[in-house]
Amino acid sequence: MRNTFRGGVHPEGHKELSRELPLKLFDPKGEMVFPLQQHIGKPAKPIVKKNDPVLVGQRIAEADGFVSAHIVSSCSGTVKAIEKRRILTGALMECIVIENDGAFTPVEGMGQKRDASGLSREELLRCIQDAGIVGLGGAGFPTHVKLSPKDPAAIRYLIANGAECEPYLTCNDQLMRTRAKEIVEGLVLTLSLFPNAEAVICVEDNKPEAIEAMRAAAEGHARTKVLPMKTKYPQGGERSLIKAVAGVDFPISRLPADVGCVVCNVGTLYAIERAVVYGEPLFSQCFTLTGEAVAHPGNYIVRDGTSFAELLEAAGGLKEGVTLKKALVGGPMMGIAIGSLDVPIQKQNNGLTLLPEDPVELAEKRQTACLHCGRCTTVCPVGLSPQVMSDAALAGDYERYEKKLHGLECVQCGSCTFACPAKRPLMQTFKQAKAEIMANKRKEGGAKK
Amino acid sequence: MNTAINLSTAPHLRDRWTTPFIMKVVLLSLLPTTVVGVVVNGWNALAVVLLSVGTAVLSEWIFNKICHKPSSIWDCSAAVTGLLLALSLSPDTPLYAPVIGAAFAIVVAKGCFGGLGKNFINPALAGRCFLLISFGKAMSTFTVDGVSAATPMADLAAGKAVNVTQMFLGTSNAVIGSSILCMLIGGLALWVLDVIHGQICFSVLGGFTVCMGLFGGQGFDPRFLLAHLCGGGVVMGAFFMATDYVTSPVTKIGQFVYGVLIGVMGAIFRIHGSTADSFSYSIIVANLLTPLIDTYIVQKPFAYRKLARKPGTEKTPLLQRIPRPVITLTVITLVAGVALSGVYAMTKDTIDQQKAEAARASYRVVVPEAESFESTDAIDAALSEVRGSVYGSGFGRSKINEAFIGKDAAGQVVGYVVSVTSSDGFDGDITFALGLNAEGAVNGISFTELHETPGMGMRADEDSFKGQLIGRSEYPFKMTKSGEGSAANEIDAISGASVTSGAVINAANAALDFYESFMKEGN
Repeated sequence: MRNTFRGGVHPEGHKELSRELPLKLFDPKGEMVFPLQQHIGKPAKPIVKKNDPVLVGQRIAEADGFVSAHIVSSCSGTVKAIEKRRILTGALMECIVIENDGAFTPVEGMGQKRDASGLSREELLRCIQDAGIVGLGGAGFPTHVKLSPKDPAAIRYLIANGAECEPYLTCNDQLMRTRAKEIVEGLVLTLSLFPNAEAVICVEDNKPEAIEAMRAAAEGHARTKVLPMKTKYPQGGERSLIKAVAGVDFPISRLPADVGCVVCNVGTLYAIERAVVYGEPLFSQCFTLTGEAVAHPGNYIVRDGTSFAELLEAAGGLKEGVTLKKALVGGPMMGIAIGSLDVPIQKQNNGLTLLPEDPVELAEKRQTACLHCGRCTTVCPVGLSPQVMSDAALAGDYERYEKKLHGLECVQCGSCTFACPAKRPLMQTFKQAKAEIMANKRKEGGAKK
Repeated sequence: MNTAINLSTAPHLRDRWTTPFIMKVVLLSLLPTTVVGVVVNGWNALAVVLLSVGTAVLSEWIFNKICHKPSSIWDCSAAVTGLLLALSLSPDTPLYAPVIGAAFAIVVAKGCFGGLGKNFINPALAGRCFLLISFGKAMSTFTVDGVSAATPMADLAAGKAVNVTQMFLGTSNAVIGSSILCMLIGGLALWVLDVIHGQICFSVLGGFTVCMGLFGGQGFDPRFLLAHLCGGGVVMGAFFMATDYVTSPVTKIGQFVYGVLIGVMGAIFRIHGSTADSFSYSIIVANLLTPLIDTYIVQKPFAYRKLARKPGTEKTPLLQRIPRPVITLTVITLVAGVALSGVYAMTKDTIDQQKAEAARASYRVVVPEAESFESTDAIDAALSEVRGSVYGSGFGRSKINEAFIGKDAAGQVVGYVVSVTSSDGFDGDITFALGLNAEGAVNGISFTELHETPGMGMRADEDSFKGQLIGRSEYPFKMTKSGEGSAANEIDAISGASVTSGAVINAANAALDFYESFMKEGN
């Protein structure tokens, strides 16, 4: 059996739109917007004022506490304002707005190679923290926190996530093909934090060139191997990878570190290499502009704070005669639908998928009653019974939902919703149920106090 | 920039599989069976299929209209119900039956409970069973070249040899959808395409085969098992009826339990029941148990399963990975099975003895003048010839048990007694002793085994029915329903119990035939 997990679905990849297109650096001209919270944890605190000059790589906001991350400017220019701006979730958030002078002057010393082999554990983690690195797989969890488990010696696997199971997205594929050496370098540096761990580079087997490149780069490095994965969604999910590599299922209340695993996106590892070896903090990352509505799809290295609209325009805009029906930050399985492209790209964003048709709208027209066909149960990577959970949640029986059906174990991958022939809004129901259960718990907790 | 962008929560993609698509796949998988059924059985079969499907779709449409619901005929589920119903009917069904059945299936069994996804029993089976109960005689008429004939299942129940090849190909005298070959092609295709759950269909077949082998009385004889598997809708039930999503459990273990239940009940009903339609009823009973199974068998996430692999441990052995409920149920089934067969074996002799005594007593009732009952070599030879199998032809499933000549104290022949059993009763076997006087006219009837419907079939034991036979000798008797059996050989049926009446009259004819052939003075 090939390395994989139980369940899962096979959405159409659509990766051919952009998979062969090399990564291009995109330098924007317009103003740059940096939301103060682009990570999980507390928002960062601005350390610049209006009219301050800034350079590329300059820290403009400081982490507030351990579980937080610095924000770094990706352009040179002057601070235009610190004000509430709309971000991709549709919410208003405090942002630092910088007038871009177009010169992209870097701070002194950035980009000079240095010898990183002698760094101690603390120095390495400090370096990653200073660079403001967060998980680039999508969630944006501060990386220095993830790499500081209670007992580093108990970590058995350091998993480099190059699965890229999300349809449409291809930037990690290109990154692995062209920056394999650098990724492995970052991996080896990270591996030095975990004395007993083995590094496993996981790549879905629909990316043979990337697998080849990673194999070549990993050769000669101790405790490092490349493991091709079966192409299946959500193969790139943290838990799916751990299941495939370590063969372990674990409840959602426990962290990957509890079962001896740490998972890092290949993009994150690349960022670690840039930060540690070149002293370059995280202000840019690989990004795929794709979708059937885009005239010229492509893979880019984009600077944080760039407007999605500007990137699209510079890339040639929409296909002629096509109306944009859906804009997704990320891919169509886990991405966020945005109502306007005039919002800034954030650290953890890895793609923009623009579709001329809305699959959800089409599906809603075909909705029927639940047939109890059990496809949702078959595809659930956690082993839940989504259909039974949905019944319980819709009936308001949260007791059964949580205790008997373990509904809170849902990782919200959306496989059930994708597979449902009756087009039931399963995951939407689960999100709501989870929100209500958590709200009830908070209320109860408050009442006790 | 375009401002009409749609918003939605992830996932923003949907699979191509839709409800109508699944239903169309099921329809397609039934196509070979339908074509073979129609080609083999002719125009009436085609009419049954068209009427059934047409009525199902039409009733769905009308019902939606009445309920002010959006039309749901395009999800094709009504068509599937109609087709399944048609395939489970005899090709000689009168044409009103598929219409009534399909309408009942869609309106009562499905629509009234909330439509697709809400019905609690399989609508097609509900329609079929409704027809069986309402028009029992017409539903169980199967003809060969216009003459009423026994189905392979009836032959099998009577202990006759059947042509398994014909049953497999679908050319035997059975329902329209009786081609096992085509059913298997369609069913296995559905399984491979992941439309139906393998754990249901294979546990049904497995449960049925094992139970039939253990309790069917013929052991694991492959011909016997194959004949049973190929007949009576076992394959259609396993692949197309039991796997109905709505009425089967949602968890894998639940589906397994449900499948075994159907298989075992189907076999038990077939061995001990009076009807060949054991499978329809066993699936319906299992449908009713589905909510219960789903309440108690809930799937746990992988991480919570007791035998989930802990980091660094070896794979658990197979035996430990079998879920607890499966082991428990298997043990209970085995214990119950052994206990039942043990009790049966222990009491069999006593029961047989008492039966024999009861039989003796009944002989005196029907030939009261006789002091002793004797046999002759000729009668013994004839009896050993016919005992245990269906007697002659034209008497239904009648068997001759015993026959004696009644003599008075002086040794003079005063009458004859023939004990006969018919398996055509409405509810189990009917056994009675038929007494004849010295001239060969009926002297009396005494039932030793009669389990018919009280107030209907049970009235066979009343003089208004059995009294009609006394003093007559113009066999073979014919049954009339006119209420005025005027001709010398006509017997009025019990009103509302023509099955019982027919069985008794056939058995009486068999007994008289036996008397004429082997016992009459000079033979």
